[in-house]
Amino acid sequence: MIVIIDYGLGNLKSVLGAVQRLGYEVVISHSVDDLEEAEKLILPGVGAFGDGIRNLKDINLIDPLNELVLKRKKPVLAICLGFQLLAEESLEFGHNKGLGWINATVEKINPDGEDIRIPHVGWNDLFVKNESILWEDVPAGTLFYYTHSFHVKCKDQDIVIGMCKYGIDFVAAIQQQNIYATQFHPEKSQYYGLCVLKNFLEKA
Amino acid sequence: MLRNRLITVLTFNNGVLFRTKNFFPDYRYTLNFVDAWSIDEIVVLDISRKGSGDRENFLKAVEKFALNCFVPLSAGGGVKKTEDFKKLLNKGADKVVINTEAVNNPELITKASRLYGSQCVVVSIDAKKQAKGKYEVYVECGTRATGKDPVSWAKKVQEFGAGEIMITSIEKDGSLEGYDNELNQMVSEAVNIPVLVCGGAGNWQNFVDGINIGKASAVCTTNIYHFAESSIQSAKKYMVNKGINMRVS
Repeated sequence: MIVIIDYGLGNLKSVLGAVQRLGYEVVISHSVDDLEEAEKLILPGVGAFGDGIRNLKDINLIDPLNELVLKRKKPVLAICLGFQLLAEESLEFGHNKGLGWINATVEKINPDGEDIRIPHVGWNDLFVKNESILWEDVPAGTLFYYTHSFHVKCKDQDIVIGMCKYGIDFVAAIQQQNIYATQFHPEKSQYYGLCVLKNFLEKA
Repeated sequence: MLRNRLITVLTFNNGVLFRTKNFFPDYRYTLNFVDAWSIDEIVVLDISRKGSGDRENFLKAVEKFALNCFVPLSAGGGVKKTEDFKKLLNKGADKVVINTEAVNNPELITKASRLYGSQCVVVSIDAKKQAKGKYEVYVECGTRATGKDPVSWAKKVQEFGAGEIMITSIEKDGSLEGYDNELNQMVSEAVNIPVLVCGGAGNWQNFVDGINIGKASAVCTTNIYHFAESSIQSAKKYMVNKGINMRVS
């Protein structure tokens, strides 16, 4: 069973639809029992960092998640805001601490107000930086769908598996052992988005 | 690099699809014809008039699209409060479009973008050309004049926290004559958030002009004859040949 973590933010239905379409048994839940029973976890998210981390705290999921993911190595795929929450801290709406699972900070795409439209919305190129099960059967030149104003700046480059460019070069995806994350929305990136999702569900 | 987008906009009355021409209904009814594979995004709007039609049917349509549609889905029509946002997002929409209520109660833009992220908030602006070449914003499906100028309203909308703006020319809508790119360019150049242009797309050159002249981030079409897979692919190929950066399968 796959569990999509419900912490009150994010397009859960879209992710649910995609996972179901791929033929997996899946539930949307925030019960620790469900998370423990899950074979794999998905941490989606659309919204603000501060709200995200606070919501996770309010429903007492931080300790269980730390245990399941960091200690017991349960595979998790974090998407968009979910990816950003993995970082140590974020500069969105002040200073907020994240889960700290990866050595990274979350910053604005255009801190100096460069002449690009924010949020970054639409289809953009993936530059594969390191091999990963996520990229299997994904051809070079594949585009994925993004919608965000902040990006994850990784201090540890070894975990970076994909990059994208919008004004700046930013991290599109990471893999750190059992932790996978994408800034783009695989559930909204059509055929190859579903392929990435399938790769996680099948091979992680 | 970020591509421009081609977006189909479907309007529903009582859960049934129809096509607008100058904001008056022109009835068609089929649901399963939008090519969900070549299109970049889909927008579904409920223009059921108050009292007629059931919002529930529209919500069902949204849910059906959401479960079968693996591109971003925006939904709107009659959205008045953040609970309406929640309803649509729970049905599977990724973004919510607001129009009239943004004018009546601009705080809704800010509240919604704080709660759900600015990426979820698309403010739609309908404008009509007046005498002396000026434009005016209309609400309530193009029936009520607001006295607002679309450019200054667009700037305010951005300040309030909208993620994207959708600008529609009321006269051009359904005309197949092409966008009002004077309007599009003015609005697009006034803001720093993505602008989606709508109203008038008839042929592929119209899409190209919408981006080159109208300075749009994305071009929308409400013309159902554009919705088939072969049409979307053909449109995109044409646009790429004209130098526009599009996602092509």
